[in-house]
Amino acid sequence: MSEKDTLCKKLFNAIVDGDSDAAREAVEKLLNLGVDAYSIVKECMIPAMKLVGDKFAKLEIFLPEVMMAAEAFEKCMKLIEPKILAEKKSELVVGKVVIGTIQGDIHDLGKNIVALMLRAAGFEVYDLGRDVPVAEFVKKAKEVDADIIAISALLSTSLPYVKDVIKLLKELNLRDKYILMVGGGAVTREWAKEVGADGYGENADEAVKVALELIEKKRKKK
Amino acid sequence: MLSFYDILKRSEEGKYMEEREFDLKVVAKNARRLVKEYDIRFNREEIVTSDDSLADDVWKAGFELALETGIYCVSTRRIIKFTEEEIKEGLRSAPSQLIVGEGRDARLLYARKIEDQRPPIIMGGQAGAPIPEEFYYHMALSYMQEPLIDTINHGGLHKIKGIEVRTGSPAEALATILELRYLREAAKAAGRPGIHLLAAESSNTCIGDLAVQNPEGLRKTDAHLIAILNDLKTDYDRLTKAFTFKIYGGFNVALVDPVIGGFLGGPEGVAIGFIASYLLSRLIYYADYYIIHPIHPKYVSTSSLETMWVLNIVGQAMARHTNFILMGDVWTSNGAGSYEIFYEITANTITNVVTGSHPLGVSATNGKYPNASGLETRFMAEVAHAAVKFKRSDANELVKTFLKKYYPERMEKPNYGKPFPELYDMETIQPRKWWLELYNKAKKEVADYGIPLE
Repeated sequence: MSEKDTLCKKLFNAIVDGDSDAAREAVEKLLNLGVDAYSIVKECMIPAMKLVGDKFAKLEIFLPEVMMAAEAFEKCMKLIEPKILAEKKSELVVGKVVIGTIQGDIHDLGKNIVALMLRAAGFEVYDLGRDVPVAEFVKKAKEVDADIIAISALLSTSLPYVKDVIKLLKELNLRDKYILMVGGGAVTREWAKEVGADGYGENADEAVKVALELIEKKRKKK
Repeated sequence: MLSFYDILKRSEEGKYMEEREFDLKVVAKNARRLVKEYDIRFNREEIVTSDDSLADDVWKAGFELALETGIYCVSTRRIIKFTEEEIKEGLRSAPSQLIVGEGRDARLLYARKIEDQRPPIIMGGQAGAPIPEEFYYHMALSYMQEPLIDTINHGGLHKIKGIEVRTGSPAEALATILELRYLREAAKAAGRPGIHLLAAESSNTCIGDLAVQNPEGLRKTDAHLIAILNDLKTDYDRLTKAFTFKIYGGFNVALVDPVIGGFLGGPEGVAIGFIASYLLSRLIYYADYYIIHPIHPKYVSTSSLETMWVLNIVGQAMARHTNFILMGDVWTSNGAGSYEIFYEITANTITNVVTGSHPLGVSATNGKYPNASGLETRFMAEVAHAAVKFKRSDANELVKTFLKKYYPERMEKPNYGKPFPELYDMETIQPRKWWLELYNKAKKEVADYGIPLE
């Protein structure tokens, strides 16, 4: 095994284990060896996050481990990003997602799981947290030029606020600019369709699957 | 017991911490360590375990978790902590039985023991579900008129007079007032005016709960839910609910519903998280009784393999070490009108009744659709009464047998069944013929497995 392969394996394992320090160290060594930044991300880091997502889906690991892995991944990305050419950067990101639990709803565990699974699937995720005011979703989506706005609602009493986001997007002529996804305990497939959402996830697995499909569809349209 | 003022003071003067740090460095770290230290292992083959030492380990680990972690107040970002003596005082003062409801409709709600042969108290309704106003009363009546249903916990109203109920809006108060009005009318119509209600489900914030603290709304013999936020958290809203209702004189019920795979970890971590949450909710909410509601990360339902194991071990740990009164939720993936729902109810109810809790349900379709009725809850009650004869080892075999009939295929792709008006004749409030036939078929099938339903 070459030194590059050994270090790549180390980086892979460090991300899976959520060991930020070891992951950063491996990245630095790889860069010093002259390994191309793009290939470090593509060959060592993304497969690690993919494995993390798969393990979580099978309940082999849990939310804290996924969060630690995502943190290690992001710390490495901060180090490596300036060294990747702009045109190559976009190849590494499946799409940009602005996600949050809607206004009036403080339940965010499910949303956190979806956000992490999207991250593991290669999305750049902007997590706004919980009880997010309607206008914040739109503001953030504009700011980061998002592909997807994903809204979670556990309570049926928070569903009207989800409709407000859609209304606001329409009023600002931005509805077609973003893919709109909804999910959470209170949301049904029928309701999602009724309010005109583009996608719905019954659970985190489905949310990621639908997000990937919708992004691909959007890319093909372009 | 500590006073409201003590709790409030601790929520404002406890140690400050960012929420993420509490999630990862306190809850996740402690839960993981304790699971390892006590060598607690989830066993797929023993959904209903006969291993008392496992229940004891879960208890000890949960107690330590409560002591070391405390509870995080999201509103102030501070940790409310308790001493060992304070937690023990909460245990000592917990009621082991309560008279709930009024007059001849009153029931003795008691702390069940493992393999308890006493008839369980049946709490019926589609708890947690948003129910359309046009048939809220009729649906509630379908539960109230079932003689085997002792107490009621039905869903909430999400739309009133065409207006959507928004969190934090005045509609929460109006919807909760209406909810109680419909429930009271249904209780009267069923000839059970004093039936115990666990209600105020139309409001997430304390607005609705405050609006119904009166004899026309929630009586002093009734109850309302106060959730422990996931994981091991509370906030001002929930504390307001707890304090005001206790001053009013009603029963506070702690709802604990952690997600498997969350900060507490797998089924083992969630089990000890339950124990800690109960001990802490006794102190901060003055809880009188408690709901066990583990959530499956994919299927939600309490009837999955993993969630039933949690129901089982939490029930047993609590029954062996406390006098806490537990209600075990029965939340199914499939809906009323499907045949599969009877399999889920059978497995879930046997698990609950044999391991120390009373059954609460049936919240069909996990409360997503109003596809529920009194009939499948009658079935739950009949299974519950039959299950008191089972030893844990027999219960385990039965639960595994029924689980195989729906897990995981019929949880992946559930049959949602039909909404209430298609299940019942809306004039007579009686089950439609086809639905009654399906129920009778299920009764026969269950009887063939040695569970005679009367």
